[in-house]
Amino acid sequence: MSRRASGLRAWAIQRVTAIYLAIFFTILLVKFMIWPPADQLDWRLWVADPVVGIGFMVFIVALLFHAWVGVRDALMDYVKPIAVRATLLSLVALTLLACGLWAAQILILARLA
Amino acid sequence: MKFRIYRYNPDADTEPSMQEFDVDAPRGTMLRDALLMIKEQDETFAFRHSCGEGVCGSDGVNVNGQNRLACITPVADLKEPVEVRPFPGRPVIRDLVVDMTQFYQQYRAIKPWLIRNDPLPEQETLQSPAERDQLDGLYECILCGCCSTSCPSFWWNPDKFHGPQALLTAWRFLADSRDQATDERLDALEGPYKLFRCHTIMNCVEACPKGLNPTKAIGHIKNLMLKHSV
Repeated sequence: MSRRASGLRAWAIQRVTAIYLAIFFTILLVKFMIWPPADQLDWRLWVADPVVGIGFMVFIVALLFHAWVGVRDALMDYVKPIAVRATLLSLVALTLLACGLWAAQILILARLA
Repeated sequence: MKFRIYRYNPDADTEPSMQEFDVDAPRGTMLRDALLMIKEQDETFAFRHSCGEGVCGSDGVNVNGQNRLACITPVADLKEPVEVRPFPGRPVIRDLVVDMTQFYQQYRAIKPWLIRNDPLPEQETLQSPAERDQLDGLYECILCGCCSTSCPSFWWNPDKFHGPQALLTAWRFLADSRDQATDERLDALEGPYKLFRCHTIMNCVEACPKGLNPTKAIGHIKNLMLKHSV
């Protein structure tokens, strides 16, 4: 992310992903309150549905970007030494990347099963 | 009335302390009057003040945890003991007097004047009443610093984040139909620090003694920036 883009673009990403997360969370809440999956097989079948699967994929990407901007902002505010900040940002980026890949693996395996 | 006043003389004291004072505050006493009475009791006590009517913006202090202008704060509204401290986050010069250099640097950085590229007209540059209305709630700022020094983002990055006061003024010029430097002003605000350290905490709105809304102005700048980039 360029120096120039890291202000407006990060802010816009945070806003757009927040809207998607709010809508998706609401849908999930309604789904689990009204039509909760009966068992694990039911769960897997539901997630294997292409629309639900893509919805979850976008949800995970949105969540990771949203978390990245939020954590980046907090580190920029509170961590002044550049070396410490760079290390922490790298750790956060790697953790988020690992979480994203893990979630993608779960979704892909659910569809293959 | 009981007052607890922050005292610190960096040349003589090793650390700041709170000193208690008793003041006879008749009905209608403003905090500035009370501080002047305290100064009569102890002439070494230092604080800034000037007009006494909320216009000059000199006597901003932190009262019971909230930034206010002392001259327009009735002491009757304050809970005792009234704790008076300097603006948070600013280096203390002495007692309630703080160094506002960074605050003014941020103000200067947003170029707080009209920029025209066209040749100046022979007479004044006209505005419609509707265009003039856009400046209401913006031009009234008196630079007291109550907003910026109550902003956590300004505490953490006073050298990089413009702060609510400077950003309110930035929007005052962006919103002015006579100004012709919109793109330059928006470009100057880009990057992660100058504008985007605002996390809409809104302490500035609560602190402004003029009832202005810097958070709203900052939102307008962000939206305008977005509009200019898509």
